Amino acid sequence: MSLFELSMFQRIAIAIVIVLFISSIVAMIKGWAGRREGLIWITVWLVAGVAILWPAVTSRIAAALGIGRGADLVFYSAVVVMMLGFWMVYIRMRRLRREITLLVRHLAILEAGKDPAGADRDATKAESPEKTPKANPWQKRSKAPPQH
Amino acid sequence: MAAPRERQGETGHTELSSSDRLRTYVVVPAYNEAACIGEVLSGLVAVYPNVVVVDDGSSDDTYAVAGGIVPHALRHAVNRGQGAALQTGIEYALKCGAAYIVTFDADGQHRIEDIAALVGPIAAGECETTLGSRFLGETIHMPASRRFMLRLAVLFTRLVSRVPLTDAHNGLRAFSRRAATQIDLSMDRMAHASEIIDIIRRSELPFREVPVQIRYTEYSLAKGQSVRDGIRIALHYIVSRVVR
Repeated sequence: MSLFELSMFQRIAIAIVIVLFISSIVAMIKGWAGRREGLIWITVWLVAGVAILWPAVTSRIAAALGIGRGADLVFYSAVVVMMLGFWMVYIRMRRLRREITLLVRHLAILEAGKDPAGADRDATKAESPEKTPKANPWQKRSKAPPQH
Repeated sequence: MAAPRERQGETGHTELSSSDRLRTYVVVPAYNEAACIGEVLSGLVAVYPNVVVVDDGSSDDTYAVAGGIVPHALRHAVNRGQGAALQTGIEYALKCGAAYIVTFDADGQHRIEDIAALVGPIAAGECETTLGSRFLGETIHMPASRRFMLRLAVLFTRLVSRVPLTDAHNGLRAFSRRAATQIDLSMDRMAHASEIIDIIRRSELPFREVPVQIRYTEYSLAKGQSVRDGIRIALHYIVSRVVR
């Protein structure tokens, strides 16, 4: 198979896949991506490269699985992989949210001890309302409180 | 473990001793409640000196208002949801040495008198947790739609948590120190109400429902949950139970 037998689509696609393949390897070697993550991506690009260069291979696998065309097999697999990807991102997002909450909580309790309006002031002798704390510096004060 | 306490009849109108009141920490989660919270907090601190307000990243003056009234004002740097705010308040109260921890909504729907009825049985050593129930008590101005949705929520809780309660999402609860240490809310948003019930069941500590009165005002209704919110909360709860 010479390069000139390839269609225009194949040439463009294989060029992109090669670039991504090489950058995945580089990222893994340099330690930008995790080992497992890197291996997953390298596998993905290898599979994509095979499917682009030898489309007949996908047709043969499709036929073995009882799916009409190779292109359909690629489409179905892409859907499954994407759903898995979304799920993994969702799980990661949940964990991130949890970590933010723990961080915010830690900060709130820490600040309460130091703030003049916080825990240092004993409840039994708390009679100094002139020390009002500042409004939340992290929030833009744009919205007016709800009217009633 | 405490000073004398008088009880008046079966309805649970307990008077707490002043030492019990001092060791009761009232946790009030608040999000953009500056308009109404001042009144609620002034009423609270007059009876229970240790009020803990957790401002959940409000964009209004909630924190400033609360800080001027109560001795313990905490602030979430960013909004994390009511469940997260409750957990922060509970952890903080435990750190301060609270013997009893009460959760109380900031919108003025609860009665301060009901706190004694909730803490009373715990102080008397009869149980470790008490949950306020508006369906055992009297309710003022509850719209039919709200009643219907809360009934659904109760049914949902009975199904998934298998705890026969009459009210599922009442913000007024009381915990002993022992029960409060068990609480570790991971559902940051509104689904925490069901999560608390799960935690109580799992801890196998004795609990009781206590009739409380809820006052529905225009303000508290506006701050309440719509039917769509209710569905979202239920879905959130289910997903959170499945995904750890």
